[in-house]
Amino acid sequence: MSENNENQQLDSFLDNKTKDLFDKLWNIIEKNINDVSITRIDLEEKMSKVDLIVSIDKKDILNLFSQLRENENLSFDYLRCLTAVDLQDQGIEVVYQLYSMSTKFNLTVKSMLSNDDLNIESVTSIWRGANWYERETSEMFGIIFNNHPDPRNLLLPEDMLDVFPLRKSHPLAEIEVLQGEDIEPSH
Amino acid sequence: MSNKQIETQEILVNMGPQHPSTHGVFRMVLSVDGEMITDVQPYIGYLHRGAEKLCETMDYRQGIGFMDRTEYLANFNAELSYVMAVERLLDIEVPERANWIRMILVELNRLSSHFMFVGAFGVDCGVFGTPFLYSFRERERLIDFFEEISGDRMMYAYFRPGGLAWDVPANFVSRVEEVLSSSEQGIKDMDGLLTNNEIFLSRTKQVGIIDGKAAIDWGMSGPSLRASGIEYDIRRAEPYLYYNDIDFDVITGINGDVFDRYFVRLQEMRQSINIVRQCLTNLTSGAILADAAARNLRTPPGEVYIRTEAPRGEYGIYLVSNGDNRPYRLKIRSAGFSNLQALRDMVIGSYIPDAVVILGSIDIVLGEVDR
Repeated sequence: MSENNENQQLDSFLDNKTKDLFDKLWNIIEKNINDVSITRIDLEEKMSKVDLIVSIDKKDILNLFSQLRENENLSFDYLRCLTAVDLQDQGIEVVYQLYSMSTKFNLTVKSMLSNDDLNIESVTSIWRGANWYERETSEMFGIIFNNHPDPRNLLLPEDMLDVFPLRKSHPLAEIEVLQGEDIEPSH
Repeated sequence: MSNKQIETQEILVNMGPQHPSTHGVFRMVLSVDGEMITDVQPYIGYLHRGAEKLCETMDYRQGIGFMDRTEYLANFNAELSYVMAVERLLDIEVPERANWIRMILVELNRLSSHFMFVGAFGVDCGVFGTPFLYSFRERERLIDFFEEISGDRMMYAYFRPGGLAWDVPANFVSRVEEVLSSSEQGIKDMDGLLTNNEIFLSRTKQVGIIDGKAAIDWGMSGPSLRASGIEYDIRRAEPYLYYNDIDFDVITGINGDVFDRYFVRLQEMRQSINIVRQCLTNLTSGAILADAAARNLRTPPGEVYIRTEAPRGEYGIYLVSNGDNRPYRLKIRSAGFSNLQALRDMVIGSYIPDAVVILGSIDIVLGEVDR
């Protein structure tokens, strides 16, 4: 019963073309990726209407990405975007948007980090373009990217190391404290 | 004669953040061995205003203004990604007329942005004055036209989730024709002034080469990527608006050098004129705002990553909503950010004056790099 409802909802969100494409890509991923457990999450409430979303444990991240890039049926050679979303109590989610120049597939990969263990392997060894994206995500959220070649601040001042502006717990007015004003931060 | 060797050492040369060739506030530290660049260390962030954080505190309509302020040379293109992301979450159908007008404005904005590039690039190459004034004359006409429509020269805030803020003036079509014919002459002028100029050619040919594979690896997009021979244009690869129904060429270069990046843009301007002409013939009358678009929008929970082809490349908006009237998280993926990373590959091994030309050829806008 509930499964039926879910499917009906999906049809109203997506035109059939997109849905077919998602299924096709998912089949290829299931066939070609070994030793990594991937979860497809586009059927849940927080679905995407543009790209197929999969989630993965952070320990498998390098294994998955090198397979996604090297496998000729997938060949995700283009890292569109890398960012993170602060989900407060649940942790911080790192999001990768991938594209393949040859097969034209799009894929969004997510990996959840728990709040007491905010580190993940860097993907700069797979796409060099990840370098600045990881630096930015690192300074904004306080995530450590292991084995990053150049882990300095990018957009923020060099000495602003213990303030993470894009976390939800960071109020907008906090910056005034940093500038030497002795006032209480307020919203 | 003594055979004593002369001791050499690497010198660090600082360029910027206040430097006329850095197109804004960008700083790079060059390590040079004589005249040859051996390493480059770029520093960005001088224009960081926290646009993403600010957008999380404002409702969807207020966010439109912020898109203008990140990408201030191609504001319509930046607004387009943003409103399309909101529309996708809401599942609103935009009226046909609004979409055609959007397409016309976006392509005209591409023209004005590329005019800015050609002018500034001419100055970078040492042709002081003339190309800059020629291109600014044309850009001024376009900006006057945008002002007639939106009421502002730069910060238009004209697109709305669901359509447009208000209808265009009655003389819209004739004004577009006027602007197009003057731009056409402008492109011809720039072409005659620069493309076959021997000094310009010797400054740009075989300088700052990056091959297609490396360009993809760095995540480059837009004309800078296409100059390396990669035929990737989001308007063609994943058509949005009505690009599917429009006939245009995706321009690619061969060598991936500075000249190709210039020439791809110049030819793209002709394509933009071509696209706008086709849009004008399709322009219908009708509504310009969807009925479903409320003033205070609340999007259902979900997330989208919308990308469009801005003049500098892929302008992406990653929008996460939790059902509120403001984004839960908004990430702006700007083309300049990725393109600028690749500067390192292009600059190392070339001479100091070439660094200025190479930086100019990537056509960065620091507003969108730093956000």
